[in-house]
Amino acid sequence: MPNNSGKVYGLTILSPIINDDRATPSHDLQIRSYLAGLSTGQDSPFALAPGTHLARLVVMDDVVFVGAPAVEEHLNSKYLIFESNCDAGPDGSIDGYLNGLAEHAAEHLDAIWSHCVGYPGAADRAAFIRYMKACQLETTFFFAAINDKSVPETLRALQTQRAVADFIESHQGVEPEKLRAEFLKLVSALDAAPLPTVASAIVSRDIKIGGRNE
Amino acid sequence: MSNINGKVYAMNAITPMKPWKTWILRLIFFVLGHVKSLQQDLINLSFIEFARWVVVPRGGFPQLGNGQEPEKLTYDYLLFFSNFNGTWNQYIDAFSAVLFKGLDLIWKWSEKFPGSVPVTIFKEYIGRVQFDTDYYFTAYPHATANDLKAAHSVQASFDDLRSRAANLSGPEFADAYLNFVLQVQPYLGETGEAPVVF
Repeated sequence: MPNNSGKVYGLTILSPIINDDRATPSHDLQIRSYLAGLSTGQDSPFALAPGTHLARLVVMDDVVFVGAPAVEEHLNSKYLIFESNCDAGPDGSIDGYLNGLAEHAAEHLDAIWSHCVGYPGAADRAAFIRYMKACQLETTFFFAAINDKSVPETLRALQTQRAVADFIESHQGVEPEKLRAEFLKLVSALDAAPLPTVASAIVSRDIKIGGRNE
Repeated sequence: MSNINGKVYAMNAITPMKPWKTWILRLIFFVLGHVKSLQQDLINLSFIEFARWVVVPRGGFPQLGNGQEPEKLTYDYLLFFSNFNGTWNQYIDAFSAVLFKGLDLIWKWSEKFPGSVPVTIFKEYIGRVQFDTDYYFTAYPHATANDLKAAHSVQASFDDLRSRAANLSGPEFADAYLNFVLQVQPYLGETGEAPVVF
C-alpha cells in the first residue's frame, strides 16, 4: 500500500473549503487566522493526540499556472491540505490515529474543519473517520527516512542518547565494579523516567558547539 | 504561516501534467517503490525525514456534494510534500547536484519543467510551483534526520549492553562498556536549537 512505509503512514487529506460569498471573512481566511494562532508546542492538537511525527496544514488557494503554452485553469474550491506522517495501527490502518485525534483534539479539529464542506464534527467518531477517508488521497510514493519506529520509541531514543552522552562524559576512568553499578543505576533511572513530552523544548546543556552554520 | 519548525522545513509544490503522462509517472513510482536500491541516493542524502508525491487525477479532487461545485480541469496534478533539514537553498542545491537524474525522471512529465540542472532555472521553477505552509508541527523540533538515526543506534547498543550487564563481572563489564562506547561515540551529537542562518 503506497500510504504505508513500514510502521509509518503517509496520510494525505484534501478537504474542500466552503465557498460562501456571504461569509466575512471568507472561510479560508478564517482557517488561516485560526492556524496562525495555533500552538506548535506541547498543547498542539498533534501533541495532545498520539502518533504524529510531523504534520502540516495548508490552505491551497488554487492550482499553479506555469506559463504558456500550458493551459491556465483554476479550481472551483479551495482545499485544506492535511499532510501527516504518523504511526499506523498494527494492521497498517489509519483509523486508530484518526480516532485519537478526534478523542484528544476535537475542539481544534472542529474549529478548523467546520469551514470545510460536509464536515460532520469530531463528536461522532464514525462519521468523522468516514469524512476524513472521503477526503483522503492515496499517496503515490511515500519516503520515510526511519520507518520502523513509533513516536514514543523515537522520543525514548533521544532521551537515552542524551543520558548516555552525559554518563560517558562523567564516568571516564571509573573502576569497573563502580562503573557497572553506576550503569545499572542509569538503566533503572531511564526505566523510571517519564517519556519526554512531544514537541517539548530541550534544556540546553553547557556544551560548546559550533559557531556560524550556513 | 511558517514553512519552518525547529530544524525541519515543510515544502509544498504542485505541478500540472497532461493526463496520459501520469501513467508513466505512476509506473516510475511503482518501480521506485519496489526496487529499494533506487532510493539509495535519497537515503544517503539523509536530510529528508519524510517526503511524498501524490498524483491527483483531474477528476480526483475530493467531491463531497453539499453544493460543492465539481472541478473541471485539463491537467492531472502532481503534489509534492517534503520535510527536510537545512535551508531551502541547501535542499535544492543538493537535489540538483546529487539527485538530478531522479528528479528529472519524476518531474519531466510536468508542464514546462526545465530540468534540475542548471540549478538557477530549476530554483525559479520550484519558486513558481511552491506554496506556503500555514501550520507545521513536529514531535521533535530539535532533532534532524541524522539525530534520529543516531539516537536509535545508541538505543540499540544501550539495550544490548543493559541486557548483559547484570550477568557480567566488573572486568567483563568494563570490556563490554568499552566496546559500547566505541559503538556509540559517533552518535552522541547534541540536539538543540536550530542554528541561525546568516
